[in-house]
Amino acid sequence: MTEPIVQVSPAWAVLAPLALLLFALAGAGLNGALVARSVGRPFRSGASAPLAQVARLLRQRRQVTVAADVLLWRIGAGGLVVVAILKILVIPLGPWTLADLDVGVVWFNTMDVMIWALFWLIGWGANSAHALVGGYRFLSLAVSYELPLMFALITPAVAARSLRVGDVVAAQQNLWFVIWMPVAFVIFCGSVIAFSSWGPYATAVGRDIAGGFLTDVSGVDRLLILTGRYAVLTAGAAFAVPLFLGGGGGPLLPDWLWTLGKTALVLATFVAIRHRVPTIRPDRFAEVAWIIVLPAALLQVLVVAIIVVGS
Amino acid sequence: MGVTSMLARWASKSVHVLIVGVPGWDESRMLLEAELDRRGWRVALSPADADLLAVCGLPGEVLGAASDLLWNQLPGPRTRVSVTTPVALSALLDAAVAHLVDDSWQREDARARSRPVAAEDPRPNTGEHESMSHEDMDHGDMDHGGMDMPTPGGIPLAGGGDDRDGLEMDVLNVSLGPVLPHWPAGLVVDCVLQGDVIVSAGARLLEAASAPKEVSEKAVTDVTRGRRRIIRLCDDASNLLALAGWQTAAQNARRLRDDARRGADSTDHAAALDRLRRRAERSVLLRWSLKGISLGEIGLGAGTNTGTATPDDQAAVDIRHRLIGWLREAAVLAGTSSGRQSPAAGDSDPVREAQDALEALPELLRGTDLGTARLLIAGLGLDTAALAQTHERTHD
Repeated sequence: MTEPIVQVSPAWAVLAPLALLLFALAGAGLNGALVARSVGRPFRSGASAPLAQVARLLRQRRQVTVAADVLLWRIGAGGLVVVAILKILVIPLGPWTLADLDVGVVWFNTMDVMIWALFWLIGWGANSAHALVGGYRFLSLAVSYELPLMFALITPAVAARSLRVGDVVAAQQNLWFVIWMPVAFVIFCGSVIAFSSWGPYATAVGRDIAGGFLTDVSGVDRLLILTGRYAVLTAGAAFAVPLFLGGGGGPLLPDWLWTLGKTALVLATFVAIRHRVPTIRPDRFAEVAWIIVLPAALLQVLVVAIIVVGS
Repeated sequence: MGVTSMLARWASKSVHVLIVGVPGWDESRMLLEAELDRRGWRVALSPADADLLAVCGLPGEVLGAASDLLWNQLPGPRTRVSVTTPVALSALLDAAVAHLVDDSWQREDARARSRPVAAEDPRPNTGEHESMSHEDMDHGDMDHGGMDMPTPGGIPLAGGGDDRDGLEMDVLNVSLGPVLPHWPAGLVVDCVLQGDVIVSAGARLLEAASAPKEVSEKAVTDVTRGRRRIIRLCDDASNLLALAGWQTAAQNARRLRDDARRGADSTDHAAALDRLRRRAERSVLLRWSLKGISLGEIGLGAGTNTGTATPDDQAAVDIRHRLIGWLREAAVLAGTSSGRQSPAAGDSDPVREAQDALEALPELLRGTDLGTARLLIAGLGLDTAALAQTHERTHD
């Protein structure tokens, strides 16, 4: 029942960031609720914690460290939300999309490479040891996740014989890609969590380095970074839907609602993972990423390519 | 006006607290932490994230100066409290909130503050800021020694040095502590860093002004001693788990610690401790993350000076096994209905053990990266209260 995907007027672009931020807020709310549960407080008090946090950070003065590289620091802090918004431009909401780029998949990949620079700039800008260590930890993690992520992104594109996100969705009319390319799906999800510096991959903001690249940011800067992290996590979750989960396809409900529902589900899973597992040290992860994950991703592409050529 | 006061009200729902621990005053810190959990407040990881500076205990001169420095790094709105007695803690925190939402006072405070962080600050011990700069410096042939080095913001540029691979790399002097999350109270480790690798380190302890008033020795029965041991073990385990990045398990250990402090039913408590231990034991990720992080000789501790290392001892020095061992011991202690201390643990002398650990620290940390170093220090379970006692003894 999937309809062909149409590009809508750019005027709708105003709504996209709004939706993204609402989802990010919901994700933060879920996280707050899970935190509240772990300290034995009511679920609901935790769910409203992000709002309290927003109020707190809006009220907080922004502290600048000695000899900070303020310009680069602010670029890093403000850039995350921008990147997340740019990411979701190519994601179709049911039958509608804001930018039906013929290289949509590559567009998403380009944006997530920008995150490398942004997190590192945040670490660099503060001119403090813990922040810089955090920034470099992210880079070392990025070196591990980026290549597997690229191949995981390419896999659905190979199957759909197109880099256009709309075509990828159309190719899943009969069978969702997650079913016959599970390895690529898992790698994609892992990489999204990694590029959001979240959960098991949150070593760049680890407690062992006093908050890593977040050590010295305060006030609005901190608000922007925290919002940006949730926003890129949300954008990643949303991109899993057209890529692997059949886009807006589903019974009864309208397509756009299916897209939102699936996004919410993936996002909730991402948020919940944080509360299940310890972090993975980036140096340990590098070994596994290059020796096991990358070959697995390549193998997945190979299998998919053979099936596509054969059919 | 309505908007600002609403903002203030919302903001005060979750106050972020930077805790300054003082050696010997762990009880005050735990008390505060339990109260923060009850209120849904958060422990801040750094001064930039804090609204409230809470000094738990009476710090000595140096530690007091360090906390003043941290106070300067709180962005504001800000307020500070000193937690020394369990009495009226709740009222103290309520007063702190009133202070935080008082816009006129906060504005006054903001105006009175000079530049955010004064460049001429000696900033010796904060662990948050260090003498380093990444200002691009041309290491080319132009700059021979003798020229005046630029000092951006009053901080001299980092010098070079050979790293472990024989490449030249900037050398950085960074002090870890005395105020860091999950850090032994009062400990300062002065590190020489290349990248995030510790080239050399020195450890020292900042003292308290005075120890908390102890309950008279007679009142310390075997039962309370056993319970104290459980509290300590849970606290250490919680810190190690938090540094390993497993926040939920760390929180779980902390709740069990607070249950022990409240005197929870011991059979339930033992079962809960056992569940946590099994969870830690089963976690593949934890095993993988902590693999190969070992305390070496020091981990054998003063209690086992037999000279021959049995396989059990080998296991005991591995951080992960140590963590599991702590939880097992706590469960056993809680399980024996009297809470009596096991004879083996009773033999060891905590003061000597802590002293040995502190002395061995520099050697242990050499060549490790910051993350590993933090895990190792947490794995030592350094009892700075015991160390503080020895200092007092030598001073008397």
